Amino acid sequence: MSFFYLAAVALLLILLFWALRAPRKQASGAKNENALLGQAGRRHATYLPLIRQALSAGDLAFVASRGFPELYQRLRKERRGVALSYLTALHEDFSRLLDLATVVAALSPELAPTQEKERVWLKVQFTWRYQLLRVALHAGVFPQHKLDILTHQVSELAVRMETAIRELGERAAVAAKLASSLDGRGVDVV
Amino acid sequence: MPSKMLDLQTSQQFGWNLSIFLRAFLLCLLIFHRNIRSFPYFAAYLVANLTKAVILHLAYGAWGMDSWPSYFVAWGSEAGLACLRALAVAELCRRMLGHYRGIWSLAWRVLLSCAILIVGYSAIDAASAPQHSLAQGVIAANRAIELAVAVVIVVLFAFLRHYQVASDPAIRSLALGFCAYSCVSVVNFTILDKFINAYLPVWNFLGVFTYLGCLTLWAWALRKAIAVPPFGSPSLFAKAVYQRISPEVNAQLRTLNDQLSQFWRTEEPQP
Repeated sequence: MSFFYLAAVALLLILLFWALRAPRKQASGAKNENALLGQAGRRHATYLPLIRQALSAGDLAFVASRGFPELYQRLRKERRGVALSYLTALHEDFSRLLDLATVVAALSPELAPTQEKERVWLKVQFTWRYQLLRVALHAGVFPQHKLDILTHQVSELAVRMETAIRELGERAAVAAKLASSLDGRGVDVV
Repeated sequence: MPSKMLDLQTSQQFGWNLSIFLRAFLLCLLIFHRNIRSFPYFAAYLVANLTKAVILHLAYGAWGMDSWPSYFVAWGSEAGLACLRALAVAELCRRMLGHYRGIWSLAWRVLLSCAILIVGYSAIDAASAPQHSLAQGVIAANRAIELAVAVVIVVLFAFLRHYQVASDPAIRSLALGFCAYSCVSVVNFTILDKFINAYLPVWNFLGVFTYLGCLTLWAWALRKAIAVPPFGSPSLFAKAVYQRISPEVNAQLRTLNDQLSQFWRTEEPQP
């Protein structure tokens, strides 16, 4: 049983290191909430049609049929780079949604443990899958046809997320404004 | 070996005297910077700690270090001190998260549950041990308390990180001091549990010097007055806003997550 205590301390130290590590982004704090809510609708989707065009399977097939092996390899590599960029964008969407949820939670008088627990679990799952996929893409073990489907799915998803995040952000911003104005008069909106 | 033991004992004595001075210095810092009202339990813990040092000094002088009365005085005062330490840690948790009503209402339940679980597990672990003795009971109880303190502080820092709550670096340092001391104590007690007689001098030495390090960190944190704003709710959303937005955000997060998991399973559409 001594092992349990030593392992627990080791685990605690790892967790502590993670918790104390400065986050990549500036901590939101109370004063940045409005800026964050305002940003909720801003996205990368503007360039998506162009990227999708660049990723079309026809181009790759054409190069392969013409027998340019070097160009074909280069094209494949670049397509992988684009897929990675898409994944990064997906990760940014996820982070932005999490930030939005964090601001709402920080300013709410009561939190639902089930919602919070689910969000933590989703974050763990997403991070794990995202990192796994990135490693697979970097290592080149992700099959080409799946890469095509992946890029297609992400571009479709990005458009859907664009709408969803904008809606949520606008709603939260309106609620924040309303709550601030009422709070300023000493009224609790609960 | 005896000369090594003597060196250990001498340096331990030196460390112990220095720690008494530092405890008194810390208390003076708290009073001088008028932080005593912001951290009443931490101040009470320091006073009790200082009192314990004086009582122990008198007890060892009167009965010697290896007598039963000294043993009971030492561990009895340690039990009282552990309660005050728990209150001081709770106070730090509230200072860091208490400004966010919703997060705090969730956090204190989680933190308390963690502490109860740890203490419960340790009690079961100690009860199921093949041999029982007073010394092992004392070791198990202390280890449980230290582990609970360490877990509570690490979970607190995880909450701060998850909700991106900014906290005063001085208060963070106070909490870190508690956490570092507790982590070292858990390891120290675990080794002591295995090699009770052989390890005793090293255990004492490590305990004193870890606490000295912890006191130094606290003194550094309290070198300036800590501006502690009074508790009050920042502009709050209505409860309904959270209840409506939170499930929607979770649903979106779930969609993103599902997409990622499906990437591996995607098949080329059949023509």
